[in-house]
Amino acid sequence: MKRCYLCESQKNIYLNLSSILTMLLSNSKITKAALYASLLAFIGFVVYILCKNEEVLYAAHDRSEFLYGAPFFQHLMQKPFGLMQYVGAWLTQLFYNPWVGAGVLAGIWLLIVGVGKQAFRLQGGAIALMLLPVACLLTSVVDLGYWIYLSTIRGYWFSQSVAYLIMLLLLWAAQATPRRWHWAWYLVGASLYPILGWFALLFILCLVVSGKLSWRELLGVVIMLCTTSIWHGLLYSNFSLSQVSWAGLPRFVTPSDCTESLTTPFWVLGAVSLLIPLCCRYLNNAIAPVLSAAAGMVFTLSFMFEDKNYINEMRMVRSAVDDNWQEVIDIASAADKPTISMIMLKNVALMHEGKLLDESFKMNGNSSFPLNNPDSIQVSFLEIASPLVYYNYGMVNEAIRLSYECAVQTGFSPFYLKMLARCVSATGEEKHQDRFLALLHHHPYYKDWHPAPVSDLIKEQKQSYEDEITGVENTYSYIVTSVSSWYESDNKLASEQALFYSMLRCDSRRFWRSMRKYVKLHQNEAFPLHAQEAYIMFMDKAPEEKRMMIPVEQGVYNRYKAFWERFEEMAQSRYSKEKIEEEMHKGWGDTYWYYNLFGRKVL
Amino acid sequence: MKKYFLLCAMALMLMASCGNRPEVPSSSIAMQTLPAIFPDYCNVTVPCNIAPLNFMLPAAEFEACVARITMPDGKQQTYGNGVKVQIPEKEWHAMLNAAKGQSLQVEVWGQKQGQWHSFDSFAIHVAPEPIDEYLSYRLIEPTYVAWSYMEIAQRNLTSFEETQIFNNEVTSIDREKGQCINCHSCQNYKTDNMLFHVRLSNGCTVLVNDGKISSVNLKRDNTISAGVYPSWHPTEKLIAFSTNKTRQAFHTQHLNKIEVYDEASDLILYDVATDSVSIVCNDPDLLEVYPTWSPDGQYLYYCKSVPLPEEMRDKDIRTFYPKIQYNLYRRSFDVASHQFGEEELVYDAASNDKSATLPRISPDGKYLLFAEGQYGCFHTRHHDADIVCVPLGEETAERVDMTGLNSDGFADSYPSWSSNGHWIMCGSRRIDEYSRVFISYFHNGKVEKAFMLPQEDPEQNLFLLKCYNRPEFMVEPVTISVDEFQRVFPKK
Repeated sequence: MKRCYLCESQKNIYLNLSSILTMLLSNSKITKAALYASLLAFIGFVVYILCKNEEVLYAAHDRSEFLYGAPFFQHLMQKPFGLMQYVGAWLTQLFYNPWVGAGVLAGIWLLIVGVGKQAFRLQGGAIALMLLPVACLLTSVVDLGYWIYLSTIRGYWFSQSVAYLIMLLLLWAAQATPRRWHWAWYLVGASLYPILGWFALLFILCLVVSGKLSWRELLGVVIMLCTTSIWHGLLYSNFSLSQVSWAGLPRFVTPSDCTESLTTPFWVLGAVSLLIPLCCRYLNNAIAPVLSAAAGMVFTLSFMFEDKNYINEMRMVRSAVDDNWQEVIDIASAADKPTISMIMLKNVALMHEGKLLDESFKMNGNSSFPLNNPDSIQVSFLEIASPLVYYNYGMVNEAIRLSYECAVQTGFSPFYLKMLARCVSATGEEKHQDRFLALLHHHPYYKDWHPAPVSDLIKEQKQSYEDEITGVENTYSYIVTSVSSWYESDNKLASEQALFYSMLRCDSRRFWRSMRKYVKLHQNEAFPLHAQEAYIMFMDKAPEEKRMMIPVEQGVYNRYKAFWERFEEMAQSRYSKEKIEEEMHKGWGDTYWYYNLFGRKVL
Repeated sequence: MKKYFLLCAMALMLMASCGNRPEVPSSSIAMQTLPAIFPDYCNVTVPCNIAPLNFMLPAAEFEACVARITMPDGKQQTYGNGVKVQIPEKEWHAMLNAAKGQSLQVEVWGQKQGQWHSFDSFAIHVAPEPIDEYLSYRLIEPTYVAWSYMEIAQRNLTSFEETQIFNNEVTSIDREKGQCINCHSCQNYKTDNMLFHVRLSNGCTVLVNDGKISSVNLKRDNTISAGVYPSWHPTEKLIAFSTNKTRQAFHTQHLNKIEVYDEASDLILYDVATDSVSIVCNDPDLLEVYPTWSPDGQYLYYCKSVPLPEEMRDKDIRTFYPKIQYNLYRRSFDVASHQFGEEELVYDAASNDKSATLPRISPDGKYLLFAEGQYGCFHTRHHDADIVCVPLGEETAERVDMTGLNSDGFADSYPSWSSNGHWIMCGSRRIDEYSRVFISYFHNGKVEKAFMLPQEDPEQNLFLLKCYNRPEFMVEPVTISVDEFQRVFPKK
């Protein structure tokens, strides 16, 4: 009996608790509070994510094509979704100032929440469901990773958000008309396929699921299924059906790679948009906003691409384009495991600052580490920084070729237009430069842009080698090989570069040739630290007959002796290779000797 | 309500027309020089059916431009919209009709920092001879190795209408390989017999034979490649092709930047009716390329390299490429037996340390047109390349003065004749890296100043980041759609 009483009282407690909870959840004040708190938290989250990706947004403008004039417009307008891409491409220019671009994008997302509320007739806590589409769109902006260098999708950064907003406006208008007229909206949706692409189909589907099943909804489905084929026959027969289907749905495809996962946010966006009208009536409570905001954040964080080197590469390229070499050096010296692009840019910066042979190995050596690239895409030095590096070594024809190769595939973005304008300025092709400047001067932020005068340093290097014809060379190793062969040149800078790159190649033959030329051209000048280090090592180890005697600092020589003693000691103690490397790095990681023995060679 | 609507519409129309019909400035500073209009249409001779020669003053220098065109009968029209002068097609054609065989006088004013400047007037001479109505070309970036979207397009020369003949995406089934399309060619300026090549993915030659489309594989066991540079026999269903093993390399310093050369090349004859290929010439030591028929079909003209010095023969071609020079030859052709006669030297370029390529015979058979540079076969990338015209059949004939067509120091290449022989066209990189089409009037052995292919928006020449490649005259449009062409390929 007692037991029964307990059961009864427990039951009552549960009932009371659940009724309190239900009351609390359905309490409009609490729901409102939860909604506002969730909205605020999500806005804070969006701001945080955009802040974190400031450099990515700048790179988005730098690597996105928008060309003033009829040819670009007409080219896009030939394709379904072209207008959205054009609008998106124009707006992407605003990322030159990441905060302006991000502000506009965030403004569109705010409108999406507001218009979505009306379009889906959301009330109370259910309004927060609109955070989910926004989270999808936010995710699509920050999940690209190295695709940012390869993507050929024009206006990607804005076109999806703008088109989704227009779709919601249409849905709002359609929902405001009596159901018996919905068949007309299905036709409107289908007719807008050239403009809205896959969002036109999503509009029809959203309208279909928002009403009870009847002949009208079935008609909507039929119209949706036929839309693509009809438009392919009517307007887009110059394209294959697969190019016309699901127009505007971003597909991350290159000739050799395909990343399906980057399309996920858009599939989720579509699915969420279909589920909202089905579920919203059950979600007008205090839990919905919290869950929506949390789900959105988790979704974005789980897809966002984060990598220090990815951001550092962007910062270094940006600074190098502006000839801000000290900034490049500062970023390089703070990097733990630099990529090859970072190393090449660092050495270019040190060359400009006249510190190459004194500082290069001090800054985390010259060991290169692979890109942290979870996709299968083949992004390399070529796409990230090669034209810039080639240009700064006076290899201007190569820089022009590489800029063209990349721009032809991914678009004549500001980065390539600026690069080409600088290059043709160096080759004296003024008329050619006018074309690139004419295009750049229509960019809202490049109205008065002119390439910096070609520096003497670049001119000197350009004159330090003879013309020859080569094959398809585009790697960093080609730079290393080419520059290390400049030992014939009587130019001081070229001899310094030849010496440095023969050191990087660990090529004793080229080293001695470069060293002789270097010494000849730099008489009565200080013997740079790394050149001393290399000299001591090659004197000691390389089996050369015709060596030369150059005085070196006693301290450097003593340190070299200590380096070998420690190395031999550890080798005899049978430490593992990794352990030896680690220990030697502690004492001599800033020397050429460490690079020569343990470094990840740039060749 | 209706009345207001009509009033508004009229006001809008008036505003629009005012925008393009400005007043001639009442006062201006006389510059006593020709205006630096782009494209340069000062004192050019144009066909009586060409599209409007729209032009502009440099936007960096001027704020506005006004042009007044005076017809031979004294009637005048004024145009100007910002720095651009864009003439409505109807009005332009009326002016051309009125000035046929005579000239239009053009006066230009430019506004700079609020002050109007007037320039010396110039003439646009209107030739009585029309130009072929259509032009076909490939639009392609000035590529090195990579390429993306490319198309073969056709342009109505009497208007600005441009339509696509084919593109390289519609039938590409292998993403990794990609697809290249090239070398479109018509028989005798007409389009019911024509062809173009599709390379890599879905590779073949697309052939139109009396309007019927088919795909052909021109690679045979005894040829070094499939057909490359084509030339239709003017009357027979025969096509001469070169077969080439083409390579390219890149200059590290020279402004030419790209070298395209053949490691081997021969000539073949393709019989459309029997789908058979026969060898025309295949000297293993020499390079034969760029076949072209004489208008009567009695001769096949082509380029052939001169023998290299002995010491160079076994070396890498990249070390001696500047020594490869081509002369022009021809062989007679018997239509009945399909047999070729002995080879005759037509033009000895090598003895002048030059290389001649891309021969074209004038429709009357009296003139030979070709591109000449210092070496090699790919003059479109050679800054020194110019178009040369020599009378045929006269041993000591002097070259035609081509200064009207050629640029100074920029590649001029790919010459061709219009079907009436009065218009010579070439592709030129005189603006910059992007080749554009230039057309010159040819009359009684004289060549007038060339004009650039007119565009509706003159700035299009700057903003289009594509080259006009292989421009060819046509007297009629290609009426087969892209969709119809793609049906000859396997489905994806």
